[in-house]
Amino acid sequence: MMDIAIYSLVDDMVSKAGTEGVVEYWLRVGESYAERMGKEAYVGWPAFNVAMKEGRTSLTVEGEVNVLTDLAIIDKDGDVIGYVYALKTCPMAPTMRRYISRIGPIPDSDTDVADSYNNRIRDSAVSNYCITHQRFREIAANNVTVAKQALECLQLANKGMTGDVKMVPENLARINVDERHIKSILRSASCVFAIIVKGKSAGEEVVD
Amino acid sequence: MAENIESNPFVDVSVFLFFEDISDKQGVEGFTNYMVGQAESLAKSVPEEEYETWDDFAKAVASGESVFSSFESIEQISKYGFVTNICPFSKAIREYIKRIGNFNPVHVEATDHYNHTIQPSAAHSACMMHQTYRKEVAKRIKIDGKPLQYAQIGAKAYTGDIALPPESWKKVLLEKAGISETQGFMEMRENSCLYLLYVEERSSR
Repeated sequence: MMDIAIYSLVDDMVSKAGTEGVVEYWLRVGESYAERMGKEAYVGWPAFNVAMKEGRTSLTVEGEVNVLTDLAIIDKDGDVIGYVYALKTCPMAPTMRRYISRIGPIPDSDTDVADSYNNRIRDSAVSNYCITHQRFREIAANNVTVAKQALECLQLANKGMTGDVKMVPENLARINVDERHIKSILRSASCVFAIIVKGKSAGEEVVD
Repeated sequence: MAENIESNPFVDVSVFLFFEDISDKQGVEGFTNYMVGQAESLAKSVPEEEYETWDDFAKAVASGESVFSSFESIEQISKYGFVTNICPFSKAIREYIKRIGNFNPVHVEATDHYNHTIQPSAAHSACMMHQTYRKEVAKRIKIDGKPLQYAQIGAKAYTGDIALPPESWKKVLLEKAGISETQGFMEMRENSCLYLLYVEERSSR
């Protein structure tokens, strides 16, 4: 029942703190959730990918992921700097279905808050919950090391309940993956992201 | 009975954290107000219901067909006495403890605030949401044209602590439910929540 509270809570908060206020709350929730999960260290990418597959990392508490080992991300020297992962089911999907079945249509404040985030911060939210979820992954990735190297999470794409898709072109360019390839992954997943060595990119330059 | 769709605990835990963040900014009072306020809003969004007889309503509640039992499995133990076997928040609470650790003390502070300022019936912060939701949903249900009434008798927290009303209320509530105090304690051993659902009898003139 706790999850169902999201919609009425967000609705209430929009009327008191505005959509921008709710975005700020959600970002802080994502940060504190990830920070409280603790740190993790893996000896190498195979160990990390097995942990991802078995759901043992803080990055998989949200649900089962497909580890796309065929999509290794290589830097200019040919070294593997990360992989692409696909979250099979959006954690919010059961709540949405439950809300629609037991209460009624999803309130407009859900889209209003997502739009506020998309217009001001990054155009990557298909529902208000994406704000905290994506932030969680970004901060959680910072708490993980692979072969003593810090990681970062790049949001690549996600799909909403009605089928609308959000892509983050700057992140796709950074790992040099084609948009059409990601779209094909989204056919059987709800969210696609990359975990890479912090500051690295598939191109010539190392990103600061 | 409607399809049972399980929530993802990731979402449940983040809602607890959302309330904790509210308390950082607006104190325990803000936490309590938002918890109660959103439960009122949620209840106002559910469809209204009408039943011809008390038995029709009791049957719908026990079979999960009423909005009153949308989020919990309810059993009737006497004409007006009802229990919820498993607290619908227990999974979220367990997942919070499993993933994050001890509950932030603000949950106990908010529960105390609710018990002192609204009514002494909450065993955990989630009870504030749950009991407010039940109270407001009851107003949307009519039986033979009369609104359903709800009164909490006992609530058990994951720690085993039981929130009970003051002695004078408890006696009246148990009497109305048609159960003795011993039966009430027996019910609380097996269940997480004991409460009264009734309609005001028509006064004879």
